[in-house]
Amino acid sequence: MDAALVTSSIEDIEIQLLLEALYQHYHYDFRHYARASIKRRLLQARAQLGYGSISEIQAAVLRDSTLLPRLLDFLTVQVSEMFRDPSYFRALREKVIPHLHTYPSLKVWVAGCSNGEELYSLAILFHEEGLAKKTMFYATDINPTALKAAQAGVYSLDRIRLFTENHQASGGRSSLSDYYTANYGRAVFDKSLCSQVVFSDHSLVTDAAFAEMHLISCRNVLIYFDRDLQDRAVGLFRDSLARRGFLGLGSKESLRFSSHADAFADFVREEKIYQRTGS
Amino acid sequence: MKKASVTSHAQSLASRWAVVGLVIGVAFFVISAAVAYLNIENVRASEREIRRTHVVLTTLDDVLSAMLDAETGQRGYLLTGRDAYLEPYSDGVGQSTEEMRKLKGLTSASAVQKANFAMLENRVAARMQIMEEVLALRRTGGIAAAIAGLNTDRGKNVMDDIREQVMRMTREEQRVRETRLIEMAAASQAAIVSAVITSLSGIALTIAIFILFIRNTRSRERQQWLQAAQADLGKAMMGDKTIAELGAAILSFLHERTGSPAGALFKGEGGTFRRANMLGVPGDADVPAEFTLNEGLMGQVAVDGRIMVLNDVPLGYLTVGSSLGRSAPRHLVIAPAKADDAVNAVIELGFFEPVDDVVLDLLEEASGAIGIALRSARFRERLQDALEETQRQASELQAQSEELRVSNEELEEQGSALRESQARLELQQVELEQTNSQLEEQAQTLETQRDELERASATLQLKARELEQASQYKTDFLANMSHELRTPLNSLLILSKLLGDNPDGNLSAEQVRFAQTIQSSGNDLLNLINDILDLSKIEAGHIEIQAASVPMDRLLGDLKKVFQPIADERGLTLALELSDDCPRSILTDRMRVEQILKNLMSNALKFTERGSVQLTVASAGEDCVALTVTDTGIGITKEQQDSIFDAFQQADGSISRRYGGTGLGLSISRELARLLGGAITVESEVGAGSRFTLTIPATYDPSKVPVRDQARAAPQPAVASPPPARRRPAAKPRPASIEDDRNALDTGKRLLLVIEDDATFASIVCDLSHELGFQCIVAGTAQEAIDIARDYKPSAIVLDIGLPDQSGLTVLDHLKHQDETRHIPIHVISGADQSQTALALGAIGYLEKPVQRERLAEVLAGLQQKLASSMRRVLIVEDNEVQRDAVSELLKSQDVETVGVGTVAKCLELLRSEPFDCMVLDLALPDASGFSLLEELSQDSDRAYPPVIIYTGRDLTTEEEQRLRRYSSSIIIKGAKSPERLLDEVSLFLHQVVAEMPPEQRRMLEKARHRDAALEGRRVLIVEDDVRNVYSLTSVLEPRGVIAKIARNGQEALDMLEASADGADKPIDLVLMDVMMPVMDGLTAVRAMRSNPKWAKLPVIMLTAKAMPDDQQNCLDAGANDYMAKPIDVDKLLSLVRVWMPR
Repeated sequence: MDAALVTSSIEDIEIQLLLEALYQHYHYDFRHYARASIKRRLLQARAQLGYGSISEIQAAVLRDSTLLPRLLDFLTVQVSEMFRDPSYFRALREKVIPHLHTYPSLKVWVAGCSNGEELYSLAILFHEEGLAKKTMFYATDINPTALKAAQAGVYSLDRIRLFTENHQASGGRSSLSDYYTANYGRAVFDKSLCSQVVFSDHSLVTDAAFAEMHLISCRNVLIYFDRDLQDRAVGLFRDSLARRGFLGLGSKESLRFSSHADAFADFVREEKIYQRTGS
Repeated sequence: MKKASVTSHAQSLASRWAVVGLVIGVAFFVISAAVAYLNIENVRASEREIRRTHVVLTTLDDVLSAMLDAETGQRGYLLTGRDAYLEPYSDGVGQSTEEMRKLKGLTSASAVQKANFAMLENRVAARMQIMEEVLALRRTGGIAAAIAGLNTDRGKNVMDDIREQVMRMTREEQRVRETRLIEMAAASQAAIVSAVITSLSGIALTIAIFILFIRNTRSRERQQWLQAAQADLGKAMMGDKTIAELGAAILSFLHERTGSPAGALFKGEGGTFRRANMLGVPGDADVPAEFTLNEGLMGQVAVDGRIMVLNDVPLGYLTVGSSLGRSAPRHLVIAPAKADDAVNAVIELGFFEPVDDVVLDLLEEASGAIGIALRSARFRERLQDALEETQRQASELQAQSEELRVSNEELEEQGSALRESQARLELQQVELEQTNSQLEEQAQTLETQRDELERASATLQLKARELEQASQYKTDFLANMSHELRTPLNSLLILSKLLGDNPDGNLSAEQVRFAQTIQSSGNDLLNLINDILDLSKIEAGHIEIQAASVPMDRLLGDLKKVFQPIADERGLTLALELSDDCPRSILTDRMRVEQILKNLMSNALKFTERGSVQLTVASAGEDCVALTVTDTGIGITKEQQDSIFDAFQQADGSISRRYGGTGLGLSISRELARLLGGAITVESEVGAGSRFTLTIPATYDPSKVPVRDQARAAPQPAVASPPPARRRPAAKPRPASIEDDRNALDTGKRLLLVIEDDATFASIVCDLSHELGFQCIVAGTAQEAIDIARDYKPSAIVLDIGLPDQSGLTVLDHLKHQDETRHIPIHVISGADQSQTALALGAIGYLEKPVQRERLAEVLAGLQQKLASSMRRVLIVEDNEVQRDAVSELLKSQDVETVGVGTVAKCLELLRSEPFDCMVLDLALPDASGFSLLEELSQDSDRAYPPVIIYTGRDLTTEEEQRLRRYSSSIIIKGAKSPERLLDEVSLFLHQVVAEMPPEQRRMLEKARHRDAALEGRRVLIVEDDVRNVYSLTSVLEPRGVIAKIARNGQEALDMLEASADGADKPIDLVLMDVMMPVMDGLTAVRAMRSNPKWAKLPVIMLTAKAMPDDQQNCLDAGANDYMAKPIDVDKLLSLVRVWMPR
């Protein structure tokens, strides 16, 4: 029991130091990520990369910058599917889109775009709703590998079946196959979907607002943050959103306890879609 | 329940008192009635007795007189013998018998009288007998016998006895009567006394009843007050309040009800009571934050659960404070609050007056309610915490499940990868087996080689260790040896000097020369030893730098003193100069600097045959000082310039011999310069002279001293180019707080918020606002301003742009983007001209500093008027009548008036004649397009046109949108949800309307537009895809005469630059480049520009949302001249543009 306690506390110290090192050397700030989750992922990274301790990872990554992308892959959870939680996309389609029709031009920010599934879902949704031409998408993530994957828009064929089911469940008006070409066991999404997309490296932890958005979709990102960081990110969304702009969060995320909760009102409560109030 | 029992207890007590009172009252009346009755009875009995006595007395008289009548009758008969005389006799006898019978009845009550009566009866009977006998004698014996009978005197004797007996009885009766009379008097006395007593008691009783009644009423009133207070307390505590809020509610309630000027509430949890809230206690008062059971009086109360009252506590026990002063309450009440009979909070109240019991009763009775309310609040907080915890756990679970998905995907991928690699492995295995045998052979060869290598490496290591040791030995040896050498050298020098001076004059000239040679050789030797020692010390790291302030003029003065004689001796000019820009004094180690300079100067003097030696001191770049020694001596060749600093090297091996010196001086100087955090550089030309420059930091900083190896690298030139990024000037200190009205707000008056960090100006505005009937609050920083605006909701705001923490424009933007503050009219006052930006952000007016008092008064009066007029007017420009009516219907409300027009001409006419607060414009109109209307309006400089909301049915191209953005920040495309948005936007504008500006002010603004000569007519390319940013950038730059060109991405920017280079357009002077853009990002665009010689020098400022140093470095690396972090600070942007704009 005691031994376990001692081990865990050393690990915690090592984690703290590693995160500090990543911040100071590479300016990746994971220090305010939810500690329990980071710990699990680092332990996994240690096991899979074959290091004896987290300190060893630290020593290695400080000197070998090629290790950084691999470590980032462990630290950032890159998982999603297209039209994940179809009801969310249905709510966007039925409730939010009519409001967006009233703007002459639109900006949509997919914060934490991961490998791009959510971005392509929104792009297809906007295309189907006739908004694609006047919409500019911003897809940001801190992981350059993920950004590249998102830009490529290539997914393995066996996932497409699930994507198609989701798309239909979300009230899709066209066939998903209109948007991709399948070959060699992979499906490549139409590059024209990306013509209005800016892919960029942007950190919710350190960076500032960059444009005025009408819709921000940031799903299953806040769950990895601690309270302070969640507040910072939500503050950033608040500053980025136009008057009466919309914010969509993941199904288990909530603004209820955020210090910026006052700046938002429930728009579709069950789907965690909020509308910027004030201004 | 507890409350009810208390009340019923009080009631039963009261009713018992009422019963006792009633019993006492009734008993009193019964007793006094009985006493009166008895008295009357007494009197009546006495009176009856007296009357009886009176009858007895008359009866006795009657008996006697009857007896006498009978005797008289008898005598008559005796004398006459006539029977007629017998008649009075028999009447007398009859009467006496009758009287006797009466008398018998009357006297039967008294034993004495009864005995007397018996005797009287006997006597009367005897007398009757005697008279009968005499009569009988007369009848029979005639008169003589009768007289004889009489003569016996027996009759007379009996008669005397009768008389005597009657007298006795009379006396007896009189005695009885006397007694009765006395008794009667006594009885009547008693009656009077008892009457007086009764009436007095009656009065007393009535008074008592009155008092009881009053008391009863009063207690009922108190009871009612208490019940009302409890009910109100209940109301005050209602709602989902936190403990602190609840504490505040309770304290303010108690303050209001009990008049207690100060109070504190402590909430208990697990035996510790923490302060939940205070009221009326100044912030710096020494009130404990918590206490435990039994700790102090509060702790005592917490344990006892009973109210404690402390009267006349000493001064300074607890203070009450306001902005005006403070005072100390003299009386304290410490009361517990209970839930389930356990104390869970303690309230302390201070009073100036002694505490009324009713307050204590209130505290006693409210104890339970307060306790329960606090406990509920605590439960609510726990519930809230639990909810939050649940939310956190849900997130955590989600995070875990996401991670699991990832692992799952990875596992699947790995599975298929494994399968693939297995096949490959099998193939490879065969190949491997083949190569294996080859490898084995090679391995053997390698092994042999390895063994050899190992041996060689071991030898090398040994050598290295030996070298290291040898080096250490050398250093130690040098350090020790040079010391050992100095002692004998000293005596050698002194003695040779003595000899050379030849004090006794006994030495020949040649001997003296020998002695002088010994001395000078000894000196050279000593110098060499000193230098070796210095160098070895530095190498061994034994030198410590002792930094102190070194005044430059003193330093130079001392050097002049030392070197002037030498220069004079050698016929050289010596000049020491201190340039104006160099600091008066620097912080460094004076001894070491002097050592270096002495070395450099003595070298210079040494190697210069004619001409001059010059020492100049000048400031070099940021925080550095350059001390330059220039000579016109022999100079040093390029090749030698590198080696002169190495130990034991000199420009020419022969030099040492020709000019003397050890050749270590420059090595030591360089090492010392390094230790001081600086460097020595040399420029020289053979035959023309040399220039040695010592550059050291003006302030010695040990952390900046480079390690020794780096110092060997070519020293950096000291004169550096100015740093690329300009820092924001340090925040100005907060203004001294200004007396304002925040502590004495009157809800009836309008409140003005003055946001201004200059205390003088703020107080001017404040005073002026008072004159105009405003109340005034002053905020000195942007943050404070935002907080105050939110908390106090002022009616109007006067805002200064230059604030210490953030730009006032940020404040303006923030306030205009908050629901609760956006309606507040804001008037901007600024030292710099940012009128366009301010007005665009929603300010109602703009004043440039310096401001005249009259102008300020006008502004405030304008605000006043603005607040007074509540009716808003909206102009609807729409050609479709149905649509127009629909919009009008939508927007119309109590304080909004709408006017509809269908044509551009009508619209212009109306706008020129009437004021409007807002305008809703359809783009498609019959006589002209909305675009041309807007352009016409914007050129009409005589009047401010209202904010425009574009409400159109057509989709807009990006160019059209860009064009419209100049005139309107709100564009709505008609659709299902557009009415909702229109209403929203209109209501926003109606509250942030730009007031009609007086022409004078407008002219001022017009003039201000063309103020910046540095920017007038310059062409700036703005590369930015966000319309809002483009708008704000152009609205800052264009008023200053800048011609703004807009590109929406990197590619467009390159195309536009290409066009301008081709002469299709005028050349661009400066580029503002966003990073994150579609098609081509900013970094790529800048790299492309820099790779083309045409634009290699074109200034580029990047705008980035990223905050990390390397992101910003990326901008500079890509070729940008400077960068600016978003959100954009207008002041900074302008200064950056001015800095980089080519002249």
